[in-house]
Amino acid sequence: MILSPEKTIVHLDLDCFFVAVSRLMNPALNGKPVVVGGNSDRGVVSACSYEARKYGIHSAMPIKLAKRLCPEALIVHGDYEMYTKKSDEVTEIIRDKVPLYEKSSVDEFYMDLTGMDKFFGCYKWATELWHKVKKETGLPSSFGLSVNKTVSKVATDDVKPDNNKKVDRGTEKAYLAPMSVSKIPMVGEKTYQVLRQMGVEKIHTLQQMPVELMRDVLGENGVTIWQKANGIDDSPVIPYSERKSVSSEETFDQDTIDVTKLKSLLITMTEKLALQLRLETKLSSCITVKIRYSNFDTHTMQCRVPYTNCDHHLIPRVKELFDKLYNRRMLIRLVGVRCSHLVGGGYQINLFEDSQEMIRLYQAMDNMRRRYGDNAVQRATGLGFRLRDFNPFNGIRKGVAGAVARNEEPRAKSQEPRAKIQEPGVRNQEPGVKIQEPGSKTSPVGATVW
Amino acid sequence: MKFIVSSGSLLKQLQLIAGVVSTNTVLPILEDFLFDIKDKKLIVFSTDLETSMSSSLDVEANEEGKIAIPAKLLMDILKTLPEQPLTFSINDQNLAIEITSDKGKYRLTGENGDDFPRIPVPEETKEIKLPSSVIANAINKTLFAVGTDDMRPAMTGVNFELTPEGITFVATDAHRLVRYKRLDAKATKATSFIVPKKALQLLGNAIPAEETQVKISYNSSNAFFNFGHVKLICRLIDARFPDYTAVIPTENPNKLTIQSSDLLSSLRRLVVLSNKTTHQATFKMSGSELSINTRDLDFSNEGNETLVCQYDGEDLEIAFNAKFVIDMIASMNEEEVQFEFSTPSRACIMTPLNKKDNEDLLMLVMPIMVNT
Repeated sequence: MILSPEKTIVHLDLDCFFVAVSRLMNPALNGKPVVVGGNSDRGVVSACSYEARKYGIHSAMPIKLAKRLCPEALIVHGDYEMYTKKSDEVTEIIRDKVPLYEKSSVDEFYMDLTGMDKFFGCYKWATELWHKVKKETGLPSSFGLSVNKTVSKVATDDVKPDNNKKVDRGTEKAYLAPMSVSKIPMVGEKTYQVLRQMGVEKIHTLQQMPVELMRDVLGENGVTIWQKANGIDDSPVIPYSERKSVSSEETFDQDTIDVTKLKSLLITMTEKLALQLRLETKLSSCITVKIRYSNFDTHTMQCRVPYTNCDHHLIPRVKELFDKLYNRRMLIRLVGVRCSHLVGGGYQINLFEDSQEMIRLYQAMDNMRRRYGDNAVQRATGLGFRLRDFNPFNGIRKGVAGAVARNEEPRAKSQEPRAKIQEPGVRNQEPGVKIQEPGSKTSPVGATVW
Repeated sequence: MKFIVSSGSLLKQLQLIAGVVSTNTVLPILEDFLFDIKDKKLIVFSTDLETSMSSSLDVEANEEGKIAIPAKLLMDILKTLPEQPLTFSINDQNLAIEITSDKGKYRLTGENGDDFPRIPVPEETKEIKLPSSVIANAINKTLFAVGTDDMRPAMTGVNFELTPEGITFVATDAHRLVRYKRLDAKATKATSFIVPKKALQLLGNAIPAEETQVKISYNSSNAFFNFGHVKLICRLIDARFPDYTAVIPTENPNKLTIQSSDLLSSLRRLVVLSNKTTHQATFKMSGSELSINTRDLDFSNEGNETLVCQYDGEDLEIAFNAKFVIDMIASMNEEEVQFEFSTPSRACIMTPLNKKDNEDLLMLVMPIMVNT
């Protein structure tokens, strides 16, 4: 028998992962509406239980609103180290059983079971694995089994919680047809609006449309969306994904237009990210600055730089980007910096621009920080700020602000697999963490959130 | 207009100058050769507006005239034809070109020769003459170190420094630097100019293997290289070359001497296991041993080798882009090479152990900053 080129892919997603882990640690939460998120009113929901969803609560919603919708909801703060640990347990089980798997985020896995049906029957095998995960970790999950990643993922989202679904070869198109186009991974809020304006609501309509039309309207993305709608997706299960970026972002207690303060904060963030890059011997060649206005309009701008991990290269670019980006005289609620296109290696010293003294200064400062903590030496401009403390490379709270993105996807929420663990805020595009400013009138919660 | 020319010798001349011809230009005529016939002499030109080349050969012709002929089309026809005389007949009205061989006829359309960009002519130039081997050597030794960053135009070419004492060629991309001095070639008056990389590449390809004299004329905006039938004209880079003399460290107490071929083959093996972007390699010197380590953490690849060397200095650990070191040693092409170090964050200097007469070669590479 010749192995068929057609694939069998399983998508396994842990149900309300943060809530489930919190419940494991505190059984009193069982059966109650639970919201995981920051503890001040300006934080946002990073996960919520199904009970809470009944009240209309969803992720990325401000905590304040969630409280109003469901006053009895139990609000818990994430224990992100614990989440990492539980996620690793699940990974361990899967690693044992599956040769080719992809961990696309902290609670999502793709497994390529192609060829296994010959011996086991894929569905039976996946069901056993699903039970095993539940038995050994106590975490409920759902899985979808189909011919490619897209259909499997849609199937999982369709049936969860604590359920599974098999979509047989040949029936993918019919299975997708009655669903809303918003179910297609990749279709975010904006794309959804565009499609709705075209009169496309169900995937069925999208399947009937000529692909050229989609290309005209949405460009190459449109073609991909069209393919996904038709159950076509030949993207492979990638066993190992390199870390793609380090980032840091902060929401203010109070929206601000104080450009000096904003810049100082950006400088501080960049300084910490650069330090982290150096400690991990990584270089970045792409810098992105992000701002969110008080009306939630979010803008980003990026630029390419020669590979570097030095403050004196990154900071001027960040400032430039910010100046270009901040062009509306409106209050800002969030700023962030991201360094992406990472490669491993040290900074190549420049013959003309870098002096021996400068290199030694970096080395001396980094040594001090290694020994006495990341805040041992820093630019004076950042003295007023305390950033969230954890290592963006392993999610362990330790000393540096930031968050890791394993993958860049255009959409937030489930499409944003960047380290949900490390930073629920990133998942929801809204970290509930503040800057503590001495003498500020706002609540003194600040950095102590964590 | 009509002329007869041997297919083989025409192709040979065209191949010398075809490298200039750009494809996909805004100005379509730049994809053409300009054929200019005067006094039974055919001069073919090619240009990309920055660099121009020309080559001349004798033809049988009774008239004079100009025509621009699509370069790729013409070369492709010539390449497939056996050696024989070809007759080119050009209709000056509709610019149709008809090439007649003993097999048949080929028709293509040219463009008006008067529309071809004007090639700069030497004006108020000074000139020097150099043996072709000196130029070829200088190009070989320096060209690889030229930078590619258009934001720093000065580093995208080789600096020619002409002095009454000698001629120095310098190339750098801010991470490495090559300085090649010739003491046997002298200029009457001190001057310097930067020749772009592309022009030197073309020059290097066109210079014949046999020894001839290359005449270099230059003024403030252009340089003109003449040898045999071939001329190369290039616009000089209008920028100030960085002051490199200040950055070459003079106090280098740590010295290492090693067989080039041993080091080169080690590095070529180890670079396979290094990070594919940074090619970082750590050199550790102690006693009379040099150990080199490369690794790619993302893929858990690692390589280690220990070489015997002659080392005179304190124990030292320093990291480089291995590709840079490979390029340098390979282009140096010497039996033994000497490295000079001061500290792990300062430049390392490489020189051939046995200096040749009239030649002074110095290569410099900047290290990679590592956590200490």
